[in-house]
Amino acid sequence: MMNKAPEQNFKWGYAVFVLLLLAILGFIAVGMTSLFVGVDVESLSGNVALISINGIILATEDSTSIFSDVSPSQDIVELIEKAGKNSNIKAIILEINSPGGSAVASQEIADAVAKANKTTVAWIREVGASGAYWVASASDHIVANRASITGSIGVIASYLEFPGLLEEYNVSYRRLVSGEYKDIGSPFKEMTKEEKELFQQDLDSIRDYFVSEVAENRHLSKKDVDKVANGLFYLGAQAKELGLVDQLGGKDDVIKYIEKKDGIKAEIVEYKKEKSLLEVLSKVLSKQSFSVGQGIGNSLFGRKEVLTMKITT
Amino acid sequence: MKRLNLPQERTFTGPALIWKRVAAFFIDILVLNLTVLFPFRKFFQNLIPKGSSFSETYNYLRSSTNFTTYATVISFVMSILIIMYFFMLEKRMGQTIGKMLMKIYVVSDNEVTKPWQFLVRDLAFLPIFPFVLLWAADPLFMFFTKSNQRLTEILSKTKVVELYSLEPKAYNII
Repeated sequence: MMNKAPEQNFKWGYAVFVLLLLAILGFIAVGMTSLFVGVDVESLSGNVALISINGIILATEDSTSIFSDVSPSQDIVELIEKAGKNSNIKAIILEINSPGGSAVASQEIADAVAKANKTTVAWIREVGASGAYWVASASDHIVANRASITGSIGVIASYLEFPGLLEEYNVSYRRLVSGEYKDIGSPFKEMTKEEKELFQQDLDSIRDYFVSEVAENRHLSKKDVDKVANGLFYLGAQAKELGLVDQLGGKDDVIKYIEKKDGIKAEIVEYKKEKSLLEVLSKVLSKQSFSVGQGIGNSLFGRKEVLTMKITT
Repeated sequence: MKRLNLPQERTFTGPALIWKRVAAFFIDILVLNLTVLFPFRKFFQNLIPKGSSFSETYNYLRSSTNFTTYATVISFVMSILIIMYFFMLEKRMGQTIGKMLMKIYVVSDNEVTKPWQFLVRDLAFLPIFPFVLLWAADPLFMFFTKSNQRLTEILSKTKVVELYSLEPKAYNII
């Protein structure tokens, strides 16, 4: 069946208008998508992954950490694994500028570094101490500046205790616990000798584990590491003498080491976790909500934030 | 003065030739590529690694969880823009730029055309299941239907036609 002849009413003006409109929408869509979804910027153009560990090492990022320098182990481990899976990446550089942090988080990153099936080099910049040194020790090679701060092998869980202050203000701590040690480490009461011993045992065993790990990673005797594991920090030059660091130098030395070891022309590509606008906004909002909730809680129950004890390396 | 009673030129519409339809489609895709899809192309160029072999790129993309999410969102947005291009031009003028250059038209089987007909025509552009099945099935129908109709054209009660004309026969005077 034949149709009637269609009207010929093609208008170039309208066609151009439609194309322009859609092009503008396209630009907006691309912009909005990158803003909201967030994209990892790593690509195959490089063969050496550079992963930065800045600030305090935590297990996960919390709402208070958006505007401060923190390295969540969750993100760092993910980046190390991603670089490990990328067949183009031949080596991983860990650019460390961190005073340490959570013992668990530090160990998680150190494990991921040890498991990576690539050449791993830790490049300590200003600071690579405590937990950050634990991470560095898991790499194949450590490069630090002569003046870098490193070492500080030890565990800390100090906290403020103010029962005396409360007493001065005629405030008493009403102890209501089910479980003898449930309020161990509470700043409102004085720690008993027994509690202190229990705590010290835990700290000692974490330190012992820390020392063992460093000794194993650095192929040193546990005895030797034990001697320097007094919590003291060392400058790069001292650390080199003690065997805590392999080489004094900077980025160029790191690249030279990789190029020599792997026989490649190093092309560095930065691996970083991009935060999408949505993630940042949700964190800001959760922080706001947390603060509002905290305020309501405080006004209702007259209770201030309890300063809890944290074990950090 | 006596006028010659010559036969009038007669025109009628019939199914557009398949090669013309294919050519029109490629012209439209080219136009879209140069204008609407330009920002997306640039974006994918940044996202997909350069200078790597196919297998390296494939392995990289497989390992990149973010890429999958991103590519899904972007391809959906792209398909919406492509659908808008075909919808806005065909609904109003019965032709896209490609169809205009190839002198073919979209017509409806109904007297009054409805917007849904033009939307259904472009369902195959959607990159989501089950519409992805149309990528192969839709154009294949052209080869097996009398009016060279795609599956979505049958569903939308539309067809693509072109004008045919019957030239008046020349009269030889001996």
